[in-house]
Amino acid sequence: MAERVFITGMGMITAIGDTVEANLGSLRQQQSGLGFTRYIDTIYKEVLPVAEVKHSTAELSTMAGVPNSPEYTRTTLLGLLAMQEALQQAGISDLQQEPTGFINASTVGGMCDTEKVYFDITDAEKEGDFLKYIDTLDCADCTQRIADTVGLTEYITTVSTACSSSANALMYGARLIKQGLLRRVICGGTEALTRFTLNGFNSLKNVDKRPCRPFDQQRNGLNLGEGAAYLVLESESLVRENNSVILAELSGYCNSNEAFHPTSPSPEGDGAFAAMKNALAMSGRSMADVQYVNVHGTATLNNDVSEGKALERLFGTQVPPFSSTKPFTGHTLAAAGAIEAIYAVLAIQHQVIFPNLNYSEKMEELSITPETRLLEQVPVNTVISNSFGFGGNNASLVISKYEG
Amino acid sequence: MEDLKQKLKVQIIEALNLQDTRPEDIDDNAPLFGEGLGLDSIDSLELMVLLERHYQIKVEDPREGRKILQSVQSMAEFIQSKQPA
Amino acid sequence: MKGKYYIQGLAAITPQHTFEGNLFSQPLVSTGSNVFAVTEPDYKTFIPANSLRRISRLLKMGLTTALKCMQDSGLSVPDAIVTGTGKGSLQDTERFLKDIRQYEERALNPTPFIQSTYNAVNGMIAVQQQVTTYNNTFVHRGFSFESALLDSMLLLEEGVSHTLTGAFDEISAEHFYIKSRIGHWKKEMVNSAELYNHLSPGTISGEGAVFFTLTAAPTAQSYARVAGLKMLYKPSLTALTTGLATFLSQYGLSAKDIDLVITGRNGDNNFEHYYRQLDLGLPQVSQLPFKHLCGEYETVGAFALWLGAHMLKAQQVPQQWFPMVSQFPATLNRILIYNHFFGDQHTFILLERTAAPAV
Repeated sequence: MAERVFITGMGMITAIGDTVEANLGSLRQQQSGLGFTRYIDTIYKEVLPVAEVKHSTAELSTMAGVPNSPEYTRTTLLGLLAMQEALQQAGISDLQQEPTGFINASTVGGMCDTEKVYFDITDAEKEGDFLKYIDTLDCADCTQRIADTVGLTEYITTVSTACSSSANALMYGARLIKQGLLRRVICGGTEALTRFTLNGFNSLKNVDKRPCRPFDQQRNGLNLGEGAAYLVLESESLVRENNSVILAELSGYCNSNEAFHPTSPSPEGDGAFAAMKNALAMSGRSMADVQYVNVHGTATLNNDVSEGKALERLFGTQVPPFSSTKPFTGHTLAAAGAIEAIYAVLAIQHQVIFPNLNYSEKMEELSITPETRLLEQVPVNTVISNSFGFGGNNASLVISKYEG
Repeated sequence: MEDLKQKLKVQIIEALNLQDTRPEDIDDNAPLFGEGLGLDSIDSLELMVLLERHYQIKVEDPREGRKILQSVQSMAEFIQSKQPA
Repeated sequence: MKGKYYIQGLAAITPQHTFEGNLFSQPLVSTGSNVFAVTEPDYKTFIPANSLRRISRLLKMGLTTALKCMQDSGLSVPDAIVTGTGKGSLQDTERFLKDIRQYEERALNPTPFIQSTYNAVNGMIAVQQQVTTYNNTFVHRGFSFESALLDSMLLLEEGVSHTLTGAFDEISAEHFYIKSRIGHWKKEMVNSAELYNHLSPGTISGEGAVFFTLTAAPTAQSYARVAGLKMLYKPSLTALTTGLATFLSQYGLSAKDIDLVITGRNGDNNFEHYYRQLDLGLPQVSQLPFKHLCGEYETVGAFALWLGAHMLKAQQVPQQWFPMVSQFPATLNRILIYNHFFGDQHTFILLERTAAPAV
């Protein structure tokens, strides 16, 4: 019998808070993190809203207790802060006591900083400290800096499947535990805002100039965000051995592919449907057990139709309360899956359902509408968290209350 | 108008790298998407870039874009309607 | 992990003539430019013209290799697609960066942005072969391919019947220059065939795309069995030695059971000490270096696995590719692959003949 996988620690930083606790506070106060960028150099500075973490890179390095130097990009620093909190929350002071894996996720690595010096790097006439950024061009750099700083020496790797990256990282980590390769794996992702990504999504004409409106008839695209989140996953046997506090169980997961189009989901949400259905089947929970779905809900024209159809197909007329938290955090790409997995745990821990902000008008293609109110003291024992990405990559996680 | 359509066909072939297509293969009224040239939604974005770079016309709403990009004819008409006489 | 993972099919686009024909009669291709480019096949027979027109070089390489691998394995729809890439499509990333600058963030073509996404090749394979199941991409330098391999092994353990597992990386002139600024490449020009005689700082650059189909059960066509895999992150020399010993003993093996070691030696004297350490741990075992065939890049481990699998199936070494090796083992039952990427990511892969006698 494969081991059950428990969540025993969490750490995060987003535009709505530097810690898990601060995120919960902002969610409850319905305080969005969207605004205009202070740190990216772009002509869209005052045009396209983003959900930026409210600290300069120098401030982040102070907070993380590392030197303010090119080796630590904003991507790394966001990740490092989330990692430090996750370790602390899980009560891990010595990583050498238990071989611990680290599965990170990133979409563009250190692009946030390298894009500022890229043409100096390629210019033979120029020399300087900026050459240190060369190492940070890829996605592995942030993973290694985080690992090296906190002392993770066992298996480390990095996943990159666009917007579902950290959901896939969590899934992979859980599978390593179930197969008995490791008893503890820390999984999640980190993403810093970049001019590269902002222009990329803008070239796809799916960035809204207003705060995004998921599942609304008038929705007109996403807003980007930044942040990082990690969850400590432990096997049941390790948890028993250490008497660790269990925050929730990662009871089901599935990765499924649309095989439809490089960037667009299928109109009927085939991939989303399969991902949710199989993840739920794996968790052993029934449709009726699902009390909340934290949807991918990017507010692009295509995603919300496709995901909404998938919800209707799966749950019929009994679609549970669902909301997108993207209007709070923006779409944080590689970090989104882990950030929203933490929100799912918080929903269970605090028996709360977070509202879908900025909603006013039902979509003509759907008969369902998102939960727009903050619901407190409601039973939340099983949550589905969706993350869908380019390349048709769909991942759903089922997170459940630990009930022995 | 004929000149404009001819020019557009050359630009479309170049922008979308339609290597085996010649301008005369593209019918003015043939649908560019789905059947016809078999273009998809990414091509439609590429054609909006073409309009912006060559004709300084910005199409903000992808839904509007779909109408404009139906055929070479509809593109040409749209360009003409946007340019001073 | 039971260690029953069979290579049912494979394909490779590399600087050597590896895509078609019998590799045992292909001549050795060398370069004197310190950068090895792949020998590209005619993509038109694999990719429909309407897709081909838009996609960039690495995507063509990756997709075509994947399709050829499926052909070779006699399967059309794999149960999973798992890949590794260190750099993704460099050409697209470079182009999008330049477009942002040149057009001052206005009216940008979306295609390079879409294709710069690291999982773009996976998405294309899924669309073309209609694969709606598991799909994942790892992007961790010298662990990229090996992580994809581990993920595939987990999938086979979980009951999946076959996986399409591969890796791809390209080098561009611009990126070659960038990495030269941090000492990745030799300053002096070296003939690739003479690589191991030139111990000096840096190595030569390369690229390639390699795919495998892995199955949980062997067939008459199987090339080899992947028996074991271990990744070591920044090990000390002692940890490397211990790691190797533990790895072998895990399978009840010792140095004498290994017929051949495929080593990642690359003429870079900054990191040669790791390979010397390996020599100490495996005295008297024949070695084949392979970087003179493909250069150095993140997912080069896939090339080594491809080479080993071919040799185990054919029970011979393509000797024309190894003029620097004087003696080859007579029988090949067990091959160990050891590689590291600039000293940080170290990997061991144990590969066995499909019907290898038990130790």
